[in-house]
Amino acid sequence: MDGKDTIVQVNNLHINIKMDEGILTAVRGVSFHIDRGETLGLVGESGCGKSLTCKAILAINEQKCSTSGEILFNSDNGVVDILKLPPKGSEIRNIRGKQISMIFQEPMVCFSPLYTIGNQINECTRLHITKDKKKSREISIEMMKKVGIANAEKRYDQYPHEFSGGMLQRALIAMALVCNPKLLIADEPTTALDVTIQAQILELIKELQKELKMSVLFVTHDLGTVARMCDRVAVMYLGKIVETGPVEEIYLNPKHPYTIGLIGSVHKIGSKRKERLYSIDGTVPLALNLPAGCGFYDRCNCRIEGVCNVKEPKAVAVGPDHFVSCHAVGQKTCEEGHGIE
Amino acid sequence: MRDYILKRILMFIPTVLLMSVIVFFIIQLPPGDYITSYVSRMSAEGEVFTAQDIANLREQYGLDRPWYIQYFKWMKNIITEGDFGYSFAYSRPVWTVIMSRLPLTVIITLIIMIFTYVVSLPIGLYSALHQYSVGDFIFTGIGFLGLATPNFLLAIILMFASFKLTGDPLIGLFSEEILREGLNISNIGSFLKHLIIPIFVIGTGNTCGVIRTIRAQMLDEITRQYVLTARAKGVSERTIIYKYCLRAALNPVVSGLAGSLSSLFSGSTISAIVMNMAILGPVLYEALKTQDMYLAGTILLTQGFLVVVGTLLSDIVLAWLDPRIRYAERSS
Amino acid sequence: MILQNVTDRNKRKEEEYYLASQWTLMRRKFKKHKLAMISLWVLGFLYFVALFGNFIAPYNLVAYNSKIINAPPTKIHLFHEGKYEGPFVYGIRMERDPVTKRKMYIENKDEIYKIKWFTRGSEYKLFGLIKSDIHLFGVDEGGVVLLMGADSMGRDLFSRMVLGSQVSLTVPFAGTIISFVLGIIIGGIAGYLGGAVDTAISRVIEVLSALPTIPLWMALSASIPPDIPVVRVYLYITIIVSFISWTGLARIVRGKFISLRKEDYIMAAQIAGVSNWKIILKHMVPGFMSYLIVSLTLGIPGMIIGETSMSFLGLGIRSPATSWGVLLQEAQEITSIAMHPWKLIPLFAVIITVLAFNFIGDGLRDAADPYK
Repeated sequence: MDGKDTIVQVNNLHINIKMDEGILTAVRGVSFHIDRGETLGLVGESGCGKSLTCKAILAINEQKCSTSGEILFNSDNGVVDILKLPPKGSEIRNIRGKQISMIFQEPMVCFSPLYTIGNQINECTRLHITKDKKKSREISIEMMKKVGIANAEKRYDQYPHEFSGGMLQRALIAMALVCNPKLLIADEPTTALDVTIQAQILELIKELQKELKMSVLFVTHDLGTVARMCDRVAVMYLGKIVETGPVEEIYLNPKHPYTIGLIGSVHKIGSKRKERLYSIDGTVPLALNLPAGCGFYDRCNCRIEGVCNVKEPKAVAVGPDHFVSCHAVGQKTCEEGHGIE
Repeated sequence: MRDYILKRILMFIPTVLLMSVIVFFIIQLPPGDYITSYVSRMSAEGEVFTAQDIANLREQYGLDRPWYIQYFKWMKNIITEGDFGYSFAYSRPVWTVIMSRLPLTVIITLIIMIFTYVVSLPIGLYSALHQYSVGDFIFTGIGFLGLATPNFLLAIILMFASFKLTGDPLIGLFSEEILREGLNISNIGSFLKHLIIPIFVIGTGNTCGVIRTIRAQMLDEITRQYVLTARAKGVSERTIIYKYCLRAALNPVVSGLAGSLSSLFSGSTISAIVMNMAILGPVLYEALKTQDMYLAGTILLTQGFLVVVGTLLSDIVLAWLDPRIRYAERSS
Repeated sequence: MILQNVTDRNKRKEEEYYLASQWTLMRRKFKKHKLAMISLWVLGFLYFVALFGNFIAPYNLVAYNSKIINAPPTKIHLFHEGKYEGPFVYGIRMERDPVTKRKMYIENKDEIYKIKWFTRGSEYKLFGLIKSDIHLFGVDEGGVVLLMGADSMGRDLFSRMVLGSQVSLTVPFAGTIISFVLGIIIGGIAGYLGGAVDTAISRVIEVLSALPTIPLWMALSASIPPDIPVVRVYLYITIIVSFISWTGLARIVRGKFISLRKEDYIMAAQIAGVSNWKIILKHMVPGFMSYLIVSLTLGIPGMIIGETSMSFLGLGIRSPATSWGVLLQEAQEITSIAMHPWKLIPLFAVIITVLAFNFIGDGLRDAADPYK
């Protein structure tokens, strides 16, 4: 592990999925780390491999995904490599829900419709904290109150279809945090919610994080949310991390052409009304039979022929704690290739 | 939950009434009536009937009125006196004829049903969890064959096989011993032996259906998001399968309970004819051939009635199993 | 800013693959299901034989010969006393076994009947239209070629199988079409209109489904008058067989209509002023068409077994017409099968046909499933 304060360190993670048409190289050598108490944002378009990476940390990917690399976790029993633990064994189950928790995008389908919300939250409590029926019920109801579910006592015995979307997301958060985990992985938790509810949920997560001294891996494609919630950001494209750094650095001083394109394509307060929003040409290709070289080559305005389509770029430091994987950084094509202000 | 049950019970009555109308209509569809076939049979043996004789016979049995009047008379008798009519062929009240066979029919049907579910649930579960394994293929293959072979022919083949192998074709439900001495502990073994072929023949169709349903549903459930969420909480695989997946997969199985009851009555009919079993099926067949109207009608009505009761029960079990259904009824 | 694409050809191929229409996708997936594809060929073969049945069968339905009652299948020989003669059969002579007194059929090696192709035989109408008397194969007078043996009246089982397939394979099909139409119309009306109409129709469906099928079939079959032309019997049987399955279909259609009715895109169409009929046909039906097709295909085996069962009981097809069910009447007694096992052959035809339809239905269902 890098630092004493590091909770999770992912080293060179590769995830391949076997399909009829070939092997999908979904995650191609991802490395990052999360320290205690900090929020790392993982940003990227749909299909870049964010969800797979997150699920790999909990080892809940499907059988047809073959994973390699290292995921080091600073658990109660010392540092373990999650990828080396048997996926159905008791060790990993002692980590899931208790030391690392995850919340998902659509809370409606995260609960089984056949059991009450209380039953499902309590399942976590009883598994990891106490088997005593009365005590565990109390603890679960306490947590429900803490996430802002009104009438928690009554709601405990209700079924998922009796809850609204926002309520369900709160319940999901309660379920994830009831055991006070070290790391919370939030996979686009607000994408499916109303804007006003979104704000509330984000506030809630921030509050709880401070109170529980928790680390958060916040996955999203919404740059506004990243700015609000995260300390550091990792930008992902086509299964690779192309840039990482502190959040202000990335937003004020983006270096990778993809990051620059992303930042440029977002509304900014104060921009002129008549300006068109910038958008990156082309679409994300399918990670099947990818050509050699940088994955962003086809859509990049700064590309250097003969270099970028031949060799994979390695991460280089361009500032304090700011890393970029790009051949063109600092080159002439980079200066003149951007067409955005 | 209580409201749901009450509502179902209330709907039960008009359904049964409607059923009785339809059944009666169908029964009296064949041209002619009992008298016609009676006369033609008697004539073949040499008896002579004048037109007046025939008319008298008709009036005597009340067969000279239009069908809806006959229906009303029949219904009235059922409701007020529990009298289901008179069997022309057996010269006895219909109810006595039926009662001599009904208990056995119900027992056999229940045994076969229990057998079906006890066998098919574990097999379906295994098939789903070990998809594409050798076991899965074997069970699926047998399942298909079982579905494809008409019951009665399976019966013939099995009886033939039993005859060749053991010298005893296991015709009928009761060996001569039982017929002489009645059923008791010592010869219950023989009864059970005779049950093997009927269970196999009548039960296979259903068993295969349930296996396929469970397999498909389990495969579906395993990929659900809430399974992933549960796993992310640290729940063991075993709990996931039994607490979450299986309970959800039981949904269509319970819905299909009534249907399987119906198909059991159906399948047992022809098989019983071929295997010479003393249940209701063969009686119905004879009644239809001789146009013994009230007997045929009552048998059909009884079977239909039992299925509707089955539907009611399975609906209640389903509502207990799946909270969404109670909620939907409440809110609609 | 000029964008340089990946080689255009690759991209277009990718696009083609991913933008294929629903039916192309289904067809592609279906082809992967090996059993379904084999079944398709098997069924194609069976229906082809049925179509040209009158031509393929050497004998017609009424031909019988009391000299060959219960004869076993005639062996086809190629060599006679060492010399190659082409396919032929020997004459058959009946004798009684001296011990058991049972009939036995001995080959009479003095009489040789060569199998001739495209012979003249009994007259028939191909497809019911074209008169002809040419049969695919046959032997001269005095000889018999019994590919599958003879029945208790001395009739060639092979011919009866082929001709019987014409009934056994088409009744379920015709019945399916009737069920389909009935099911969609009645189910659609119930689902779309809702309210009292829906309640009434649902009650009727419930009653009809509660009554066990075979007893119901028996009751309905018993009501076919005994002395009407064969074609009409056939028609009635078809109607009876479809009578039950339309309820299942109607229920499915009704369910789909009810759930689709609440969809936003239907409301959008209504607001835009599209007429009810158009909404049903253009927007709702395509949504569950694949599901319907699967249900239909999986319902055909039930009809096949139904028709076979009815005919077996003597309540269905009547002579001179025949179907596999009628042929199986001869296989009722154990003693009969023990002595003349070839009489079970129609059973295998039924099993194969039912299996084929089941596999095809399974293949269609897998192909139509968008989540796999």
